[in-house]
Amino acid sequence: MELQSKYKTLRDVPQIDYLAPGGSLCAGCGGLLAVRLFHKVLGKNVVWVNAAGCMTIMVNYPLVPLKSNWLYTAFASAPAGAQGIRDAFDILIRKGKIPESEDLKVVVLTGDGAAYDIGLQSTSGAIYRNLDFYYLCYDNQAYGNTGFQVSSATPVGSATATTPPVPSEPAGNIQKRKDLFEIWRAHNPPYIATLSSSYTVDFLRKVEKGSTFKGPKLYISLAGCPTGWGYDPRETIREEKLAVETGIWPLKEAVEGKVKHTVVPRALKPVEEYLATQSRYQHLFNPVRRKEVIRSIQEQVNLYWEEASKREDFEIKLVNT
Amino acid sequence: MPLITNYFLALTLDFYILTQPLIVIPDKFLMILMIVRVRFHGRGGQGAKTASRILGTASFVEGMNVQDSPVYGAERRGAPVTAFTRISDSEILERGYVFDPDLLIVMDATLLASPVAKVTDGIRKKGAIFLNAQSANIIGEHYTLPSDVRIASYDLTSSAMEMLGKPIISSASAAAAARLVGLVKESSLEQAIVTELEEIGLSEEMIKKNVMLGRKIFSSLEPLELATEESEKKLRIVPLEMITSNDGLEDIIAVGNSKVAKTGSWRIFKPVVDYEKCTACTVCYAYCPESALILRQDGKPEIDYDNCKGCLICYRECPPKAINIEREVIAF
Repeated sequence: MELQSKYKTLRDVPQIDYLAPGGSLCAGCGGLLAVRLFHKVLGKNVVWVNAAGCMTIMVNYPLVPLKSNWLYTAFASAPAGAQGIRDAFDILIRKGKIPESEDLKVVVLTGDGAAYDIGLQSTSGAIYRNLDFYYLCYDNQAYGNTGFQVSSATPVGSATATTPPVPSEPAGNIQKRKDLFEIWRAHNPPYIATLSSSYTVDFLRKVEKGSTFKGPKLYISLAGCPTGWGYDPRETIREEKLAVETGIWPLKEAVEGKVKHTVVPRALKPVEEYLATQSRYQHLFNPVRRKEVIRSIQEQVNLYWEEASKREDFEIKLVNT
Repeated sequence: MPLITNYFLALTLDFYILTQPLIVIPDKFLMILMIVRVRFHGRGGQGAKTASRILGTASFVEGMNVQDSPVYGAERRGAPVTAFTRISDSEILERGYVFDPDLLIVMDATLLASPVAKVTDGIRKKGAIFLNAQSANIIGEHYTLPSDVRIASYDLTSSAMEMLGKPIISSASAAAAARLVGLVKESSLEQAIVTELEEIGLSEEMIKKNVMLGRKIFSSLEPLELATEESEKKLRIVPLEMITSNDGLEDIIAVGNSKVAKTGSWRIFKPVVDYEKCTACTVCYAYCPESALILRQDGKPEIDYDNCKGCLICYRECPPKAINIEREVIAF
């Protein structure tokens, strides 16, 4: 049975903020917006276990925007830190040393660098042990914190500091993104979802739905990055919306392994509309138009949606290549 | 026999070394050094780092020795950034930060009030300050400067908005600095702008616009005599105030204490709500990444200007277009 959600429109965004302003992140940070919305649903009893990444900079000691709790770990070990906290709470509550009302929800917070690359094995271990925790990956598709170097979440065609378009590789990054959603799904956790702050109601509902499960609840949120992607900070929501509308960022969930797309655009917009707005893709348009790269990105998107529509039996109009 | 040969050889070598003077002083070190030290103060994203590079490259084209380097902390776009350029007709033996600049380029007037940026620190006697503003009068509101420090100003941001459509003033600031220093020809500046902006991957069209902007600024200012002769270094004793740990404790343990950072000074434009038009739809509230916008009783937004970084998502997303933008001009 479908859960009756309390989030129906944008007006239902909870009006309590668990983050104070004044952090040190870039203006218009999509990752911070994701953290803010996520926190609103979970409430105040949360401990964030943060791997190295952009969100480290959210806290500029002694100035801390978080009104909840925060544990900072090394790049690879946030899920291990989460395990320690979860176990400690479980034991203390069982022994009656702290009341159950003081229990905290344990949330791992990592960027795509920690989620896709450096912390993948500790995440795998935590899911395998069926750790009762949340995992929020803000995916800005590169190592944004250190100057936008390529990560295994960087899409094909994106220029980064380490994959600039050069004569031998005019397309920028040539490696395909890892499909983290599927990697996680292969571990059989109870709940996985992809998010985008621009689809706020969908975002809030998924976090709400996930919290009804015991065990690992894993989220990958698109995080528009004005600095790394190269667009005006005011466009963060537009960029994320375009990513969904072009089909580049599918919004979906997997409940007990069963995948369902929660937002299905009736007709996909051409990927070009999204790519052209960001300077990390400018080399695909200037000085010469790299048709073959743009077409192959479009083909990948088409292929994804064609398969998904067959599997889940929905209608979608693809873009002709 | 070979042993003896080696012995003799060794002796000869020793002799050779001993007859040479111990310290070699090339002629050029006996001349008076000419060196200009420029320090740029900007905000991340404004182009301070690129400005220092353009100035460096332009001077290099003129045959000078140059150094340029930026410094920024862990903070991002909008946070204070400092960059340095040293220009000399001889080898530059200094390294690191410029603590005693001959010329300060203040790219953002709000930095004048920033305790972190400390913009006028160490300015030399007869040095100069350039402020990106219509008038330089606001410097007097924040600092008392020695009377021989010269002050120049020009509204670079307005020119950049007009010519580039963006408030990025790397080439404009470099042009201002190059003109004020007075050692660089306009053609060298143009060459430097093209070289540096090509390197960071700007489109040809944008580079052209930047060159135009650079030319405009270059021709609007007059050179100042800035080159200083070496060297008036003195040891300084910096008196430190006694602060007990309790003085800061309350702020440190306060929940959500990041508010005191007052990131509102990062803004270049500020969003202003038109309450007549506002329909209290709360879209701006949902999308504000900074939590710098609260909803009033009537559901309409109130912007926390102390902390709003000016990303302008609220302006862009507002369905009835009830949020306008205004250029931020007053330093706080």
